[in-house]
Amino acid sequence: MRKMIVIAVREYQAAVRTKAFIVSLVLMPVMMGGSIVVQVLMRDKVDIKDKRVAVLDYTNQLYDSVATAANERNNKEIFEGGGELRKQVKPRFVLEKAEASSADAAETRLALSERVRKDEIMAFVIVGPDVLKPSADPALAAIDYHSNSPTYDDIQNWIAQPLHARIQQLRLQAANLDAGIVEAATRRIPVANLGLVSRDEAGNITKAEQTNKIANVFVPLGLMMLMFMVVMIGASPLVQSVLEEKTLRIAEVLLGSIPPFQLMMGKLLGMVGVSLTIATVYLAGTFYALWQADYGQFFPAHVVWWFAFFQALAVLMYGALFIAIGAAVSDQKEAQNLMTPVMILVVAPMFVWVNVVREPSASLSLALSLFPPATPMLMVMRQAIPPGIPIWQPLLGAALVILTTLLCVFAAGRIFRVGILMQGKGAKVSEMFRWVLRG
Amino acid sequence: MNIIEIENVTKTFGEHVAVNDLSLAVPQGSIYGFIGPNGSGKTTTLRIIMRIYHPDGGRGVIRVLGETTHGAANDRIGYLPEERGLYKKMKIRDILRFYAELKGCRDFKGRVNSWLERMGLSEWADKKVEALSKGMAQKVQFISAVIAGPELVILDEPFTGLDPVNADVLREAVLDLRKNGSTVIFSTHDMAVAERMCDLIFMIYKGNKVLDGTLESIQERYGTDTLRVKVEGNGFDPRTIPGVEKVTDFGKLQELRISQQTDTQDVLAELMRCGRVTHFELTTPSLHDIFVRIARPEPKDADASRETAHA
Repeated sequence: MRKMIVIAVREYQAAVRTKAFIVSLVLMPVMMGGSIVVQVLMRDKVDIKDKRVAVLDYTNQLYDSVATAANERNNKEIFEGGGELRKQVKPRFVLEKAEASSADAAETRLALSERVRKDEIMAFVIVGPDVLKPSADPALAAIDYHSNSPTYDDIQNWIAQPLHARIQQLRLQAANLDAGIVEAATRRIPVANLGLVSRDEAGNITKAEQTNKIANVFVPLGLMMLMFMVVMIGASPLVQSVLEEKTLRIAEVLLGSIPPFQLMMGKLLGMVGVSLTIATVYLAGTFYALWQADYGQFFPAHVVWWFAFFQALAVLMYGALFIAIGAAVSDQKEAQNLMTPVMILVVAPMFVWVNVVREPSASLSLALSLFPPATPMLMVMRQAIPPGIPIWQPLLGAALVILTTLLCVFAAGRIFRVGILMQGKGAKVSEMFRWVLRG
Repeated sequence: MNIIEIENVTKTFGEHVAVNDLSLAVPQGSIYGFIGPNGSGKTTTLRIIMRIYHPDGGRGVIRVLGETTHGAANDRIGYLPEERGLYKKMKIRDILRFYAELKGCRDFKGRVNSWLERMGLSEWADKKVEALSKGMAQKVQFISAVIAGPELVILDEPFTGLDPVNADVLREAVLDLRKNGSTVIFSTHDMAVAERMCDLIFMIYKGNKVLDGTLESIQERYGTDTLRVKVEGNGFDPRTIPGVEKVTDFGKLQELRISQQTDTQDVLAELMRCGRVTHFELTTPSLHDIFVRIARPEPKDADASRETAHA
C-alpha cells in the first residue's frame, strides 16, 4: 500500500509539475472565454465608413419615413459611450432616393447594379409598386435588396424594420383601422416557463420559481463538458506514461520493487488525484465567477459530490483501458490506433446530450445514462437538470460503473503484467484478449 | 550458504532456446561474474533470477535469498537492467528518493547525498535526467539500484560505456558493496574486469553453461599450455615450429598455444634458432583466450598450418 502511494505521488507530480499541465489548465478556459474577448475587442475595429444605399420606391410612399429612420439611427444608434468617450462604432447608413432610369424594370436594376460595381453605392433596394396592397401579384409586391457583398447583411436586416412599420401603418390607414387598437389586439403574450409549486414548512404554498435557461441547459452541459475534459486530461496521458516506462525499461526496475497490479493501481490513483485537482480548480473558479456575478444560486452544489465521485470512477475506468493500451503497444502509432475505439466511448455522450437535456426523465435518457461508459457524464447531467432524478438511478448507475471499472482494472492488470515487459512489436487485440482470459 | 540456487531451468522464446537446462549457485558475499558472447543468454538468466521471466512450464528450481516466491518485487534485491532508462523529466535527487522509497527505505536522505558525492554527481543533484550525459545517467541508475542497501545486487553490464575513470569509481563501489555484506552478480564483456574482480566466473554460450567456478579452477582445466614469447629477428614465423597449435600476435608479444605432448624446451630451442629470445614465459591461458576458444571455433587455416608444420 505504501509503495502504491509512492507510485501515485510520483505520477501525480510528474503530471502536475509540467509546464504543459499548467498551461493547459489556464489555456482551456482562456480558449473558451477568449473568443468572447476577441469579439469584444474586434467590435471596435469594424469598418465605420458610410454605407450608401439607393432606394427605388415604386410606391412613392415609403422612402421618406425610411430616410427619417436612417437619420435617426445615424444620429443615435451608432455611437457608444457618452461625453468625451462617445465614439462611433457602426457605419452610417446614407440613403438616397433613386429614380427609375428606364421604363423597363430590368434595365433600371442593371443601371443600379452598375453603380454598385463602380462603388458609388454599397447596395440598392427595390420596393415593388404593389407592396401596400395585401392581395397583389407577388412579383410586384416584393422588396428586393441587391448588393455585391452577400455576407454583409446589416443593411438588409435594418431596413426591413422601418419599411415594415411604414407599410403596416399605410395598410391600416387604407383599411380605416386604428393602429393603436390593432396593436393592442394583436399583442403576443409570452408563455412563462415555471417549475412546480410546493408547500413550505410553515404551510404556505410557495411561488413557482421562474426556470432559467442557464440552470436548465448550460449548467448540466457545463458539468458534462468539464467531466469530458477532466477525463481527457487525467486519463489519456497514462498511455504515454506507461509507454515511456516500457520503452525506457523503467518498468523492469519498478517491477523489481512493486507487484504489477500495485504499480498499475498506483498510477491510476495518481491520475485520479490529477483529475480531481483539475475539477476542483475549475469548479471553484466557476463558483467564484457565478458568485461575483450574483448568479450563485445557479452553481450546482447539490451534484458536486456526485460529480467528484463519478469523475473519479470515470478516470479509473478509462485510465485502466489507457494503461492496458500503453502496455500492449510498442510505439506511438500503435497507441493511436488502439486509442481510437476508447476515444469514441469517451466522446459518445457528446452525441446524445441534446436528447438527454430535452427529456431527462425519458426512458431513452435513463437507458443511455445507465450504459456504464457514458454513465458518469450523462447521469451527472441528468442530476443537474431541475428537478433532478430519483436517487435510485445514480445509485444503480454507480453500481454498474463500479462493476465495469473493476472489470476494466482486472483486465488491464493482466494485459499490463504481460505487456509491460514485452519488447519489439506490439500485441494484437486477439493476444490481449488471451492474456485477459488466461491470466 | 548460497544466496541463489537455480536448478535445471529452461527458457525458450518461440523456437529459440535462450537458456537450456541451466543450474547455478551463487554463494553469499561473493562477486559472481557472468560472461558470454552477445545473445548467449546472460540477460535472460539475470531476468530469470529477477523473476521477470519465468522458466518454461514453471519447471526447475529458482531459490533466491532462500525464497521461491513467484513475483519479481523484492526489497532485498537491487537491479540494474541492461538497457538503461530513467524518467527524463525527473530531477536526480527525486529519482533516487523515489527508488529508495519504492524499496521501502526511509532513511534515504544521507544515503542519497553520500552516493551522489561518491559518484561525483553532487552538483547535478537538482538537474533533470535529460541534462545528463550517458555515463552520468548510468551512474545515477547504478545508485538507484543500490540506494536501499540491498542484500543482492544484480547488474547487467554495469561497466559498458563508461570511461576508465568512471569505470574505476564504479568498480570500487561494487567491491565496497561486497565488503558491506552484499552479494553482487554482474555480467560483462570485459574479461580483464571479470578476471580481477570476480570470485566466481560463470560463462554461458548458446544458452548452455560452459564455465562455472573460480578463475584458477577454470584456468587449471585448460592447463599450462600457453607460451608468451618475444623474439628479435626478421622473418620469424612461430607457426612453423612443431607443436604450436595457435598463435595470437599482440604486437610486442606473441602468445603461442602448444599441444599437450610438446616439450616447451624444444619450442625454446626452435625459437632461439629463429632469433634472439628476449622473453619466454610459460603461463595459463587468460580468460580472454578461454572465452575466444569457446566462443569462436578455431579457424580452418590454423589447422592447415599446423598440419603443414607437422609434415
